[in-house]
Amino acid sequence: MASHGVPRPSTITTKDEQARLKEEKDIKDYKTLVDLTSEREYSLEVLELTSKLLTKNPEYYTIWNVRRRLLTYGLFSKPSDSSLPSMELPSTSQTDTTITSSADSSSSSSQATPPSQNSRMTGKTGTTLEAIKNDLAFLVPLLMGWPKCYWIWNYRLWLLQQAKERLDMEIARAMWTQELGLVGKMLTRDNRNFHGWGYRRKIVAELESPELGGSSMVETEFEYTTKMFSASLSNFSALHTRSKLIPKLLNERRSDDGARLRFLTNEFDLIAKALWTDAYNQSAWFYHEYLMTNLLEPVRQSTITPNMSSTERSAYVVLQIENVKEMLEGEEECKWIYNALLGNTMALWQLEERSPMSDELQDCKTWLAELRKLDPLRRGRWDDLEKEFRGF
Amino acid sequence: MSLVSGPGRAGETSGSLPDELQLTIEPHVRYIQSLDSRRDELEYWLTEHLRLNGLYWGLMALHLMGRPDALPRDETINFVLSCQHENGGFGAAPGHDAHMLYTVSAVQILAMIDALDELERRGKGRALVGSYIAGLQNTRTGTFAGDEFGEEDTRFLYGALNALSLLHMMDAVNVNKAVDYIVSCANFDGGYGVSPGAESHSGQIFTCLAALSIAKRIDLVDVDKLGRWLSERQVECGGLNGRPEKAEDVCYSWWVASSLAMIGRLHWIDGDKLKEFILRCQVCSVSADNSTEINARQDTKMGGFADRPGDMVDVFHTAFGLGGLSLLSFPDLEEVDPV
Repeated sequence: MASHGVPRPSTITTKDEQARLKEEKDIKDYKTLVDLTSEREYSLEVLELTSKLLTKNPEYYTIWNVRRRLLTYGLFSKPSDSSLPSMELPSTSQTDTTITSSADSSSSSSQATPPSQNSRMTGKTGTTLEAIKNDLAFLVPLLMGWPKCYWIWNYRLWLLQQAKERLDMEIARAMWTQELGLVGKMLTRDNRNFHGWGYRRKIVAELESPELGGSSMVETEFEYTTKMFSASLSNFSALHTRSKLIPKLLNERRSDDGARLRFLTNEFDLIAKALWTDAYNQSAWFYHEYLMTNLLEPVRQSTITPNMSSTERSAYVVLQIENVKEMLEGEEECKWIYNALLGNTMALWQLEERSPMSDELQDCKTWLAELRKLDPLRRGRWDDLEKEFRGF
Repeated sequence: MSLVSGPGRAGETSGSLPDELQLTIEPHVRYIQSLDSRRDELEYWLTEHLRLNGLYWGLMALHLMGRPDALPRDETINFVLSCQHENGGFGAAPGHDAHMLYTVSAVQILAMIDALDELERRGKGRALVGSYIAGLQNTRTGTFAGDEFGEEDTRFLYGALNALSLLHMMDAVNVNKAVDYIVSCANFDGGYGVSPGAESHSGQIFTCLAALSIAKRIDLVDVDKLGRWLSERQVECGGLNGRPEKAEDVCYSWWVASSLAMIGRLHWIDGDKLKEFILRCQVCSVSADNSTEINARQDTKMGGFADRPGDMVDVFHTAFGLGGLSLLSFPDLEEVDPV
């Protein structure tokens, strides 16, 4: 229903009879599968049916829930639980189920074979460990095929939580650790997939937690962002993650003021290198702005160099403005440079709590004129900036 | 400028746009009306998990086009109520589990057609719906889960506040904690992600700003910083993307533009170019001889909007394309509330 990037056929074709019949059959097969899966018994047969259905349609969130209940009340149960009188799943009661009461469902129910007793999923026939391992393996091709499907990622996290709650810590930890490999692979295939980045963050948080006997992974994760950024200099996801890790990193390193200043300078160098490679790299410009914010925010609130004095900050900002000016050489058409010059110069007035000097104001007006010319889409923004100048 | 024959009459009012960039209402209305008659397509069955959302998107589009009665009201109410569970929550369709996403759609649909009273008359009561939603709040952090299995996302937080405000039941949850949680999702670029630490994403920015608007705490936003980041979502073709360096998509016409509107910075993008982009994503085009030429596979499929020009249309992009046009004060469309 929400189709992204699916091209519309260029020619208007009516389905021929053969195609129509095939679709009719596909629908019938699919509905039969749905009806069978809806029987909801704790049997391996139903588990396999859910696998079949989810492979066709991993967006069918209710079936993921059926699967969770199958495992929770079936395979994960202790052997003594198998003597429970009812094998029915707890009902998620409906007020109306008219949609399944079609002619198709009556024919399909006749194909449903009652589960044999020995295939009932109790602790006797399969262990929790095997069940989780099998399920994790089942999910891998689905994730590869539908890397943006929320429900698959979610279900996988749920499985790993089950491992944490039900298995020995060492075994559970090994499972969570393996996930770093998987998510690394997913992020190599699509380095901006925010499901992947989010998943990685959750895996790391678990691996760091005392429940899994963990400790901080901030150094290795920081290295990971360096690696991802080096591989693709416009990877905003990597830079974002970096911005989140830095405060923690510096605290854990117990960096003194000198070390913090060196760190900041290294970050500026890293991003300048990217900008010299491609001055139109907006991800790098946003990160540059983040580094500048560290200098421009009130003393003690900045996260990288909290103890830097106002005078030191001013000098550093002036230096950065000069560095950015140099980038103009040969890149006179790049709006991002003017944007940074304008923003940083205006911020400097605030930092030094003074009015602009006349040559500064003249520069800013020139840069603004360039922005108007190079970036007409955002002229409303430039209008608002111009209004600010009138105050001086 | 030639005028369009038929009931759409788009040509009369949008004088500055070329013929192929007109909005003709009727094909879009018919497209939405046709959606539930597509049971002969596998796609219809594969998307059952979106049925209630789809109904909301369709109704939203119809309301924007001034055609709220184009879907039968009684059938709509019956269908919505048939999705409700004993616990008060709603699933995507009968037989589908209850989840925040569909519960919010159900409340929004009933509110839109002025039928919330039906919850008392024929449903399980307004209070139970509210308590289902309230029960999904994480009392420790303030955010909300989608269902009993605990996935948390600022989408659910927004949905909860939206539905509870429509039900007049905001007291059922800890709004201050929810607000604190949103603040903890803010990033250096001024934007917000799905949870603390997550990258800014225009869809999540919409949910966080709308939730803050409902909670009357939009003052907590770094307006200029976020406004700059959001305005850079507009790319050369006029369309908007969701994150830096990503492709444009019609649905961000809603997520980004409504976010800019909520912080008073909608004028920081080029509205005319955005309108043109959205209109290029329609399947329906108007030919010079005053007749409406439908560029679709068969009658029931005419109308609708796609994510990008030339792609398949769907009801999600139809609703948000029209939402974007309405936000930009497009003639012939009802005015929309960005929240």
